[in-house]
Amino acid sequence: MAIIESHVASPRRRTGRWSGARRLVRDASVVDQCGIVLLGVLVLAAIFAPLLAPYSPIAPAGLPFSSPSGAHLMGTDEVGYDIFSRVLFGLRSSLFGVLLVVTSGVVIGGAIGLVAGARGGKVDAFLMRLTDLFLALPGPVLAIALVAALGPSEMHTLLAVSIVWWPFYARIMRGEIRALAARPHFEAVQMAGVRPFRRIVRYLLPGATSAMVITASLDVGNLVLTLAGLSFLGLGAPAPAPELGAMSARGLVYLLQNWWVPVMPALAVFLLSMAANLTGDALGARGSDR
Amino acid sequence: MIKFVIKRVISMVLILLSLTAIVFVLQRISGVSPAHAFLGPSASQQAVAHETHLLGYDKPLLAQFVHYVSGLLSGNLEMSLRTRHPVSTDIASFLPATAELALTGLAFAILLGAAFGLLSAARFRGAGLFRFLLMSFASAPVFLLALLAVLLVSGKLHWLPSTGDSGYFNAPTGPTGVVVVDGLLHGQWAIAWDGVRHLVLPATAVALGPAVSIGRVLRGSLEATMGTDFVRTARAKGLRERTIVTRHALRNSLSAALSMTGLQVGLMFAGVVVVETIFAWPGIGLYIDQSIPQADFPAIAGVTLVLGVAYVVINAVVDVLQAVIDPRVTLE
Repeated sequence: MAIIESHVASPRRRTGRWSGARRLVRDASVVDQCGIVLLGVLVLAAIFAPLLAPYSPIAPAGLPFSSPSGAHLMGTDEVGYDIFSRVLFGLRSSLFGVLLVVTSGVVIGGAIGLVAGARGGKVDAFLMRLTDLFLALPGPVLAIALVAALGPSEMHTLLAVSIVWWPFYARIMRGEIRALAARPHFEAVQMAGVRPFRRIVRYLLPGATSAMVITASLDVGNLVLTLAGLSFLGLGAPAPAPELGAMSARGLVYLLQNWWVPVMPALAVFLLSMAANLTGDALGARGSDR
Repeated sequence: MIKFVIKRVISMVLILLSLTAIVFVLQRISGVSPAHAFLGPSASQQAVAHETHLLGYDKPLLAQFVHYVSGLLSGNLEMSLRTRHPVSTDIASFLPATAELALTGLAFAILLGAAFGLLSAARFRGAGLFRFLLMSFASAPVFLLALLAVLLVSGKLHWLPSTGDSGYFNAPTGPTGVVVVDGLLHGQWAIAWDGVRHLVLPATAVALGPAVSIGRVLRGSLEATMGTDFVRTARAKGLRERTIVTRHALRNSLSAALSMTGLQVGLMFAGVVVVETIFAWPGIGLYIDQSIPQADFPAIAGVTLVLGVAYVVINAVVDVLQAVIDPRVTLE
């Protein structure tokens, strides 16, 4: 049986570990290349925030409302916190949140889509009804209600967004699996008598990963915005914690006199989302070429 | 067609029932007792227990749920902890301003989306820059757009006002509650015009993000349609390119853009809440924003239900419109 199976072409392709990433950068347009580089810089800045930040994010570092200067790159806020240091740590919590929600979306949605697509029949019908129900409700509004019911905190926000975020991935996964299951290579695998579990994990799942990765990468920009919006409404970590949305919301009252207090954190959200969108576009363009 | 509409309405009712069930469960999780909310924070244990019994909150969950749904149908959204008014009264006074902002925002989003879609399908000098600009709109958090609008257009240039929905304290308050409409109905042109001026910035801030998404989808499906056989046939029989686009291709490309519009409404509602807090717009977004720090769950649940119902109904209408545009939809 193993001999027969070895003749069935596996959809998995083996390439060098970095060649994919190198091709991605080489084939992208100039604008997309800038986006990819920017994303890299922002991710590094977030990872090394404790080393890069000139001041503590939660201790006053100068006079309140100092305008941006060499000493305080983005100025200071109403307490005298250094905004640049806070933005670095804010990027960190933004990226952490995005990573957590996207991962949970891919894992939960992927698993549900995989089971629905591979089993078919009643299981498929039930799971897809459930998915459709979630897709038919306004996710961000539901997330607000969920966090409010659980009590505002960073973890509750991430949990709430994860709960409303997976259905989209379930749809994509199910569609891919159904399409793959109709292909000749899978028919061959079935005739070769490969066990169901191995059939799914080895011959269906790898073919669906590229669609999932592209969907996830296009999703990151939106997610950055959604999480920042919830944080802006006060549905995140409590006061002194450096969160970009919350910083912008608290600086709102100083907008006309000290514009940098609310605008700098909002600009950081913009750059992160923009970089993620450009990178997602470059990945998506590569995906559709294949 | 009628069969399709009936099916769609039934599924809409089921979705709404699920929405109520979710909010009902959240209400239980939130730990805010409706009886306690009704009596106020200083009520004694006994009084709360008595009121809980009177309101039926000691019955089995299913009975409570039935009671809850029938209460909702008669407009009972329970009592707000913060304002000490019935939530339904609060929402009724805040909803007109939000409806004004959201509907104007939606109209802007559709118009701008159509313009973006058609413009980016065309090839012209600076198209790359245009794409970059659209990408920026799509990536900017709605609060950044709103902040910059307030800072530049209102603060520096003094072109448009940046707070509230009217500069008049004696603006007429009836019959719709929408300043612009009421001003017109009462024949007070200055007040109506002032309302329009207040509306421009927040509605644009709300609309830009969704407009880019709608434009993208429209462009994509328009390009796909222009490559089909029937367009080639139309060209072959000598129709002008403009006629082909407007009379033949556009209708076939509209379906995808329309469903995108329906989906974007959900994101737009979240945007409306944020924009209302920045522009001090007296709508339910400002109401929910003030309720969040106080953990006023009945108020939050009420707003969630209102926005949820609006979203579900709008999407049902979109589905029916899709069937009108493209009769093949009903066959699925």
